[in-house]
Amino acid sequence: MAQTTVVKPGAYHDSVALLRLARALRARPGVREAAVVMGTPANRDLLADAGLLTEAARAATPNDLVIVIDAETADGAQAAAAAAEPLLARSAPDATRGGRSRARTLAGAARRMPDANLALVSVPGAFAAAEARAALAAGLNVMLFSDNVSLADEVALKRHAIRQGLLLMGPDCGTAYVAGVPLGFANAVPRGEVGLVAASGTGLQQVACLLAARGRGVSHAIGVGGRDMSAEVGGLMTLAGLDLLGADDATALIVVVGKPPAPEVGERIRARLAAIGKPAVACLLGRRVAVGTEGPVTTVDTLEDAALAADARLARTAWRPRLFTVPGVEARIAVARRGLTPARRTVLGLYAGGTLAHESALILESLLGPVASNLTGAAAGDPEGGSPSHRVLDLGADEFTRGRAHPMIDPTVRIERIARAARRPDVAVLLLDVVLGHGAADDPAGDLAPAIEAARATARGHGRELAVVATVVGTAADPQGLAAQTARLEAAGVWVLPSNAQAARAAAAIAGNETVRAALRAGGSA
Amino acid sequence: MSLDLRTPASTRESSPGHRRARVLRIGAAVADRLSGDAGTIGRVHSVFGRALNIETLDGRLLTLHGPGPLRAPFAAVIDRLALLRAQRPGAPVAVEPGRLRLPGLTLEWGGATRVECTIPGPPPGLHRSVVDILRAFDPRRAPALDTPRGVAARAALSAAIVSGAPRALVSAARALLGLGEGLTPAGDDCLVGALAVVRAIAGPAMVGAPAVARVVAHEALHRTTALGREFVIEALAGRFSEPVLGLLRARSADAAAAAARALAGLGATSGADTLTGMRLACGAFA
Repeated sequence: MAQTTVVKPGAYHDSVALLRLARALRARPGVREAAVVMGTPANRDLLADAGLLTEAARAATPNDLVIVIDAETADGAQAAAAAAEPLLARSAPDATRGGRSRARTLAGAARRMPDANLALVSVPGAFAAAEARAALAAGLNVMLFSDNVSLADEVALKRHAIRQGLLLMGPDCGTAYVAGVPLGFANAVPRGEVGLVAASGTGLQQVACLLAARGRGVSHAIGVGGRDMSAEVGGLMTLAGLDLLGADDATALIVVVGKPPAPEVGERIRARLAAIGKPAVACLLGRRVAVGTEGPVTTVDTLEDAALAADARLARTAWRPRLFTVPGVEARIAVARRGLTPARRTVLGLYAGGTLAHESALILESLLGPVASNLTGAAAGDPEGGSPSHRVLDLGADEFTRGRAHPMIDPTVRIERIARAARRPDVAVLLLDVVLGHGAADDPAGDLAPAIEAARATARGHGRELAVVATVVGTAADPQGLAAQTARLEAAGVWVLPSNAQAARAAAAIAGNETVRAALRAGGSA
Repeated sequence: MSLDLRTPASTRESSPGHRRARVLRIGAAVADRLSGDAGTIGRVHSVFGRALNIETLDGRLLTLHGPGPLRAPFAAVIDRLALLRAQRPGAPVAVEPGRLRLPGLTLEWGGATRVECTIPGPPPGLHRSVVDILRAFDPRRAPALDTPRGVAARAALSAAIVSGAPRALVSAARALLGLGEGLTPAGDDCLVGALAVVRAIAGPAMVGAPAVARVVAHEALHRTTALGREFVIEALAGRFSEPVLGLLRARSADAAAAAARALAGLGATSGADTLTGMRLACGAFA
C-alpha cells in the first residue's frame, strides 16, 4: 500500500470537476482510493476519516487543492498522480478550452437555434413541468428526462402536446432516438426499419442493442415514461407514438416495450396496432404474459425475445424462444456450483438499469420462488436485510441516487454493495448489468472489475466461491466498445451472457436445485 | 509628460489592443468599497468560463460575471464576458474614478446600476409559497453534505437555529465551514442558505449579534476557501446573491418556483447546497 499527495496552491475548480477527477483516479488499475478536495480543516477531517490524511495533506491550507491517492504500489500511486494534471486540465472551464458558451434558459437556447424542433428538459422535478410546458408552448417536441413530475402534470402536459401535434417523451425518459439522433442514455445503433415505443429506458437499450447485433437498426425510438400505460395516463403518448411510427415510411416493424399496461390501456394498444397493420412485437414485462402471435402482433415475455422476434419477422423466418444461445452453458453452471451448500443459495442482483432489474426479478421468481426487491415492494424494509432470500436491487432508484449520480455514471454505490455481498455467507451468485453507450460511464466494466475481483477474493478467503454473472448492454460502436468491456469483466472472473434474460436464467441455474436446471434444459420454467 | 506611479503599466489604456467593457450592475456594498479606492487595489484571483474573481488588498473578493442576476452580493455584471477570459491569475487590477482596469481591459462602472443585496428590516418573513417550495424541494446536493460529518453538521445547525444559542450556532458553523468539494465548499453554501432564512424570519438579532458574526467570520478566515469565506462574511452582514434574494422575496407559488429553479441552477452544486441550507433553516423554524 502506498499513498501519494499532490498539493496545488491556488488551483480552483468547481465541485463537479473535482468529483470527476476523483472518480477517474479511482478507476485506474491498482488505485484503492482517491480524494480530491480543497485543503480546508473540515476536508482534512474527512481525509482523516478515510485514512487519507498524509503529512502533505495535513499541511495544506484552505486555498490549496489536495489530491491524495492510495494505491497498491508506489509506482501505481505515482502514475495516478502524474495522470491527475492532464485529467484536471481536461475539466478546465470552457474559457480555457475555447468551448461554446451554453444557453442558460430555454428561450435563450431557442434564440440560438431557431430551427430546433425538440427540447430535452433535465431539471429538478419540481420545475420540470414548467419548463416542459414552456417548450411545448414554443412549438417544440419535448424529451422530459427529469423524474419526480406529478401524475397530474404528466397528464396535462401530454394532453397539451397531443393538441399541438407534438411529442412529450417522459417524464423520466432516459433514452430515445429521433430520426437517428440518440438522446439521453443511448447506444450507438444503426438506423434501420424497427420503430420502438418504450416505457422503459434500459429496456429500450437492450432491445436496440440486440437488434444491432443482428444487423438491424432503429428508425425512431419514442420513450414515453414509465407511467404512460397506467390507467391514469391512459397510454396517451404510447398511442401517439404508435400513430407516428405507423405513418412513418422508414418504419417496417413496431416494437412496444414496457411493464404490463392497465387492462383498458392494453386493449387500446392492441387495437391501435391492429389498425396500423404493420408487423409488431409487444414486450410488456409481467408475471403472466400470454406468449404468441395474434394478427400482426407477436407477444413475448423477455427483452431478448422482443429483438429476436422482430428480427425473425422482418426476415420472414420462423422463430421460437431459446433459453440460452451460447454453447457450454451446462458445463459452466456445473463449475460455478462446486462448493455450494444448502445455506448458500441466494442470488443477489445489483442493477443499474431499472427495467433490466425488473426483468431479472420476474425470471428469478418464475424459477426460484419469491424475490425481494425495491422495485416490486415484495420486501418490507431494507431489501438487503432480513432473512436470506433472493434479492434484486435497482440501484438507479431514488433511494440510492439521492445526493449522487445514477449508477450508470457513478459506480460507488454498486461497488459498496458488491463488497458487502462478498461478506454475506448466504450469497451464491451476484447478478449484474453493465450498460454502455452515450451518457454512461467512460469505462463501466473497468469501474466494477476491481471490486468484483476483491469480492471474489474475500469470499475465497472465507472458503467460499462467489459466482458473478452479468450482461453487457452495448454495441461494438459504443464509445466504450462492447468487446473490450466484456473482456474486462471476463478477466475479473465474470460469466458474461449475451442478454439480461440469459444472465438471470444462468444465475437461477447456479443457485437453484436440480428441478430448476431440468426445467431450463427442457426449455420451460420450474 | 507625467508618470502614473499608482497604475501598473499593463493596465494603462495606451497599451496596444486595449479593450473596453461596461459594468451594467453592481452590488451596492462593492460599489461603495470601490468608490473609496484608487490605484492598484488587488490582483486577479481566479478565472473561469463564466466569471473572474479579483482579490483586493484587504483580502476581500470582487466577482465579475456576464449578464444575469448578481450571483454574489460582491459581484458585478459586465456586458462582454468573453473579454475576461484573456485574463490570468495574479494580474494587477487598478481603480480610477468610474473605472476598473485590468491588463488590456478597462471596465467602465460609472453608469452601473447599484443593486441592494440586503434583506431589509424589520424581518419580512417568508411567504407561504416559499416555505412550501423549500419543503417540497430536496435538491441533489454535494456528496460531502451527506457524509457522517456533513449530516452531523447539518443537524447541529438545525438544533442551533431551534435553540437560538450563539455558542451552538458558532459550533455548527465551524463544522460546516470548508466542508466539501469545489470553489465554495458545500458546507459554506449550506450555511449561507440557512443564514438567509434566519435573517428573513428572525432578523439580524441572532446571527447579526456582533460576537457571533465576528467569531464566525474569524473562523471562516482559517477554515474555508477565499471565495467561500467571502460568501459567509457577506451573509453574516445580511447580504446575499440575487437568486437567494429572489426566492426570499417571492410572494406567489409561481414566483417561488421560478426563483428556486434559478437558484438550483447556480454553479455546479452551489445553488442546490444553498437551497439545502434554506430548507434546513425553514424546517428548524417550523
